[in-house]
Amino acid sequence: MRFHTTCDGLRRRDMLKAGCIGLGGLTLSQYTRLASAGQVSPNRAQRAIFIELPGGPSHMDTFDLKPDAPDSVRGTFKPISTNVPGIQISEHLPKLAAVADKFAILRGVSHTLAAHQLGREYVNTGSRPIPSLEYPCYGSVLSKERPGEDDIPSQVAVPKAGHGPGFLGIRYASLETNSTPQFGQPYSVRGLSLSPGIGVDEVQKRQQLLKKLDRRFAEFEEVGGLVDGLDRFGEQAYSMITSPRARKAFDISQEPASFSKLFGEDSFGQSCMMALRLVESGVGLVSVQLGGWDTHTDNFSKLKDTQLPKLDAGLSGLLTGLEMRGLLESTAVMVTGEFGRTPKINDRSAEGGRDHYPRCMFMLMAGGGVRGGQVIGESDDTAAGPRHEAITPDDVAASFYWNLGIDPTIEYQTNTGRPITLVRDGKVIDKLFS
Amino acid sequence: MQWSNQARTSSQAQRLGVVICGVAILASSLMVSSVRAAESKPVSERFASTDTSETPNFQKHVTPLLGRLGCNGRACHGSFQGRGDFRLSLFGYDFKADHEALLAENTGRVDVDEVAESLILAKPIDAEMHEGGKRMDKDSWQYNVLRAWIADGAKFKSSDLEQLEELVVTPREIQFNQAGETVQLKVVAQWADGSSEDVTELCRYSSNDDAIAAIGETGQVNSGEAGDTHVVVYYDNAVVPIMVLRPVATPRVTQHNSDAKPIDVAVLQKLDKLGVVASPVCSDEDFVRRVSLDLTGTLPSPAEVRAFLADSSSDKRAHYIDVLLERPAYAAWWATRLSDWTGNNEAELNNVLPGRNVASKLWYEWLRERLAKNVSYDEIVEGIVTAKSRDENEDYGAYCEAMSEACRPGGEKSFAQREGMPLYWARRNFSQPTERAIGFAYTFLGVRIECAQCHKHPFDQWSKNDFDEFSKLFTPIKMNQAAVSKDGKEEQKKMLASLGVDESTKGNLLRKKLAESVLEGKTVPFGELTVNTANIQQRLKGQEAQAKKKGKKVDLRIPTGKILGDENEVELNQDPRLALMRWLRSPDNPYFAKAVVNRVWANYFGIGIVDPTDDMNLANPPSNAAVLDYLSHGLIEHGFDLKWLHREITVSDTYQRSADVNETNRLDRRNFSRHVPRRYPAEVVHDAVLLATMSDTQVEDVVQTLDGMAITDALSLYGSGKGSVFALDVFGRSARESNCDCDRSDAPSLLQSVYLRNDIDIHKRLADRSGWVTESCGKLGVAVAGGGIDKSRDESDERIARQKQVIQSRIMEFNKMPETRQKQMRSKLHAQYEKYSAQLEAIGETLPPLAQLLKNPKLLSSEPTAVDATEENVANSESFEAIVEDAYLRTLSRLPKTDELETSLAFIQESPSKGEAVKSLLWALLNTKEFIISH
Repeated sequence: MRFHTTCDGLRRRDMLKAGCIGLGGLTLSQYTRLASAGQVSPNRAQRAIFIELPGGPSHMDTFDLKPDAPDSVRGTFKPISTNVPGIQISEHLPKLAAVADKFAILRGVSHTLAAHQLGREYVNTGSRPIPSLEYPCYGSVLSKERPGEDDIPSQVAVPKAGHGPGFLGIRYASLETNSTPQFGQPYSVRGLSLSPGIGVDEVQKRQQLLKKLDRRFAEFEEVGGLVDGLDRFGEQAYSMITSPRARKAFDISQEPASFSKLFGEDSFGQSCMMALRLVESGVGLVSVQLGGWDTHTDNFSKLKDTQLPKLDAGLSGLLTGLEMRGLLESTAVMVTGEFGRTPKINDRSAEGGRDHYPRCMFMLMAGGGVRGGQVIGESDDTAAGPRHEAITPDDVAASFYWNLGIDPTIEYQTNTGRPITLVRDGKVIDKLFS
Repeated sequence: MQWSNQARTSSQAQRLGVVICGVAILASSLMVSSVRAAESKPVSERFASTDTSETPNFQKHVTPLLGRLGCNGRACHGSFQGRGDFRLSLFGYDFKADHEALLAENTGRVDVDEVAESLILAKPIDAEMHEGGKRMDKDSWQYNVLRAWIADGAKFKSSDLEQLEELVVTPREIQFNQAGETVQLKVVAQWADGSSEDVTELCRYSSNDDAIAAIGETGQVNSGEAGDTHVVVYYDNAVVPIMVLRPVATPRVTQHNSDAKPIDVAVLQKLDKLGVVASPVCSDEDFVRRVSLDLTGTLPSPAEVRAFLADSSSDKRAHYIDVLLERPAYAAWWATRLSDWTGNNEAELNNVLPGRNVASKLWYEWLRERLAKNVSYDEIVEGIVTAKSRDENEDYGAYCEAMSEACRPGGEKSFAQREGMPLYWARRNFSQPTERAIGFAYTFLGVRIECAQCHKHPFDQWSKNDFDEFSKLFTPIKMNQAAVSKDGKEEQKKMLASLGVDESTKGNLLRKKLAESVLEGKTVPFGELTVNTANIQQRLKGQEAQAKKKGKKVDLRIPTGKILGDENEVELNQDPRLALMRWLRSPDNPYFAKAVVNRVWANYFGIGIVDPTDDMNLANPPSNAAVLDYLSHGLIEHGFDLKWLHREITVSDTYQRSADVNETNRLDRRNFSRHVPRRYPAEVVHDAVLLATMSDTQVEDVVQTLDGMAITDALSLYGSGKGSVFALDVFGRSARESNCDCDRSDAPSLLQSVYLRNDIDIHKRLADRSGWVTESCGKLGVAVAGGGIDKSRDESDERIARQKQVIQSRIMEFNKMPETRQKQMRSKLHAQYEKYSAQLEAIGETLPPLAQLLKNPKLLSSEPTAVDATEENVANSESFEAIVEDAYLRTLSRLPKTDELETSLAFIQESPSKGEAVKSLLWALLNTKEFIISH
């Protein structure tokens, strides 16, 4: 086993290296040890769904409306009441308004990175990007801390991961579907589904032949666990390819239309439904993306006609669906874009648009220990910044990990042996869980 | 240390050995060789009571003691935020800052009037008061040292700093016989003023593997498991490793023959000490596959394997190595590795040249060309380190013309002829002096100095000051798209004007415009590497003139920097890279040759002699210093001839050892007593799948041209829509982004297994109409269905054929054009090819590379789908035997064993479709561990 040296003079056995052998890295006994040491807590959400809204959704046209603000800022959307007294959101999110008791709204979340890529890296990791080091995304951390089972991937991104495993290494990368499911149609993923022309029989026959021929290292004594690891991965791959579990989980056509209609018939809604199916089947974290929020021009019609109906149906369907299946308490949900948009409406198009604005944005949290039906934080009169103390992406990340029973201050080592605190600057937002 | 020195002191060693628990001790010669005053008694004796007139020294006693007590550790006051508002430098090498922190006013940390009230005395003795707990007893010697220093006025002057000349640790090496034995280290500091002091109680200690040798806070070493490792002693700026070894079995007298090669002698000598028996040399089959994959990144062809096995000459292995060294794949593969180490990363070169993926291609080709010509390593490095953008006597216009040419498709060949490779300096993540210091040390020295950016390097001699001085060397170098030497500025403006680019066009728009113009055959302006030394001269002159005017005297100093480990200043009024290069290639350079030797070694063994390969430091000594020394001296003596290095390693028995283990070397990973299996690198796996599934005719072509192979330059596959990058990413090719050899991963993963079993890439290759399965079955009149590929293919077949025809006729037209016209049309053809290629890719059809098609447009003609399924009976079991043999040779590079042949034949016989069965057999062989694990 290799040693890595750290700048600060510590030398430790390289846990990351060891991690490649077992799926997800930890043996049960290691996990139990960590659990008893308080580094993972078995009593909170077990799985997670991370919904990213790349492009940067306008906060003041969605979850942080300012009906009393001047015309130049307010916009054309009106607030409506939700099923929680005192909480109002945009009129174009009626379905979410009806389930507002299931999620918490964070207002006045604030940072300073106004570029898409940097902002996304920030909200996908909970640590402000630094040039020398890439932090891991939530799913990679979860799949490192929570080993999954053989025939189901531990982390899935629909269709692409917003951010990679960073210094944790590719083995903690998510399985990217590279495509999105369509309403009412069967769905499958590269490498996981059987290709046309090859049936389960054929795969089994090949596997039997392989077993007979793959003898070279059968008696091999080894220290590093390479052969053992390959055997294990081989079995897992075989299980995943042949077992119906993963395929079934991906195949959204198995849901009755009455259920899948809850999510809306567009691909985002269906991705949300697939996310539900995946966590239900044992996937650790599913990330889903809904793009199209970069509304520099025609902000209002884009939101009203396209973006908000999709988000409204998909997310409300997800929260409702999770609750129907009894999964809401064990599934942490987080929704975020990379920033908010300028309160001031620009005049680049006839109806106006809004530009990048990290100083004030919203995020949503639900599931696990999160108490729904509350608003945390507050923006000022024109939604130009937090009214009081700002909530940072770091705080939200710390809370997300906390919700998943992962200590946000846990320390990792990078591949060069640098000690890294998982969430560098975040504080858990206690109010979310009270 | 010389062996002879140890011999000289052996009598003393034995005496010591008898005194200490019956263990053989090899004592340091330094103890007896230096003429010095007898060292003073240990500090614990001298300060056992307050009854002493001695005043402790801040550098020699107080700071090390604070370290020993744990005060300046990272978890305590050594943390960058400090603790309780009190911050010490991490590991205590910033004496001035620490002294200031201790004496800071109104903190009460050090109170020279009320000595005992000083917090640094009161807190560490009181668990209640001190968050860090109790660190020492009141009136202990530690307490007395601190007390006496404070009582004397807590003095320190930076000018009083003394030079530690040598830290002498006895014994130099420890050999244990069984678990539970202990040896006490003794550490003596020898100062430049001639004084010596026993500082055993003031050192920090660590073990590189505490399962083998644990070391206590007082320097007591305890033996554990059998094996070898180092314990490390730290005091002042010294870091001294001590080898600890406990034999696995009874040490052997000797196991090498008199005619053994130097590497083998050195390895076996160490194994003798450990009582480890080396595994025998591997079989010819294992050898031919291993050396071909390691040396050229390429599977040997079935014919090659057969020929090698049939060859009965005694020197056939050495001969085969020579053959491999001349192959194009040798240069291709090692250019990929050198690209890894030098950080050839397209994303970081994004804005440097017009066009995507151009820069990294040029970089790669420049390296490949030199490796193919066997240019010596120091010359290659010189071409990078001292690179200028323009060749000798080239003016700006000619330079831009040449670079415009280089940026057009196929232009990398002309770039490879240029003298320097300045792109190394142009990377975005290599623009700050500190980034350059870190990256330069990583690439050319195999040293991680980044720790010293903030504090004294915990495992090496580097101080923060060393780092800062080294960084300064890189300040004058500038390279980006806009930077142009003075004499080129006018020309640059003219060129932009003639391209119709007005001055307001900037950033992405400008780059886009330039990229287009280049492809249209125009010459566009390029940025160039500038060395900002002239400015320094001028600035100084300006300052001088001003000062004179005002009648003032100013201290005008030319900025300087320092080479690592060198006291002399390098003045920055000339290109500092020349001095850097002189230092690199000097035979005295402690790192340059070793770094490349160690990395090349790791390519062959999966582990460096120093491990990790890019972390050479005092506390991380080589597992076999003799081997590393022999090879690095040899490399220097042979004029940095890389082929000498490859040959020397691969002809050794050490490289050729079998993977089979015996009782004594079962657990060995670092002493090279056997072959340690590892997963092949991403590019090699990718290409092995390609070669194993291609038809014989295709293979013949590809091993010459290397077209489509990932070892030629995996990066050129980026964004080309060829679907290969997925495999390379999954198998962990180097990201080349973080100055770490660990950017490349050889760890297995679940996704890799899924890929090899069930990815569309694999199914497509197995069912490829021009692939081996179809070819070999075709010969037997056996049909192969396109199982595993998209069945909608049948419908799109017609479309594919149509599009292929279009491309084919375009290429044939192109081939008929006169050369001048071809030059104009080349980029257009390229664009057309890319377009069709992408379209076809979308429906699951891969085109051969354009270069290949230009040579042979007929490649696109529809292949006769020969085969009639009803004729399956034609094939008999004899011909299937040949197919099975061929399948084994092209995947595992060996013939099947009898039982394997039987299993395979039975499988084919039992299958209703013989073609499918052959495909399944090839699939199974690709998925054996033997296919992707070295052995």
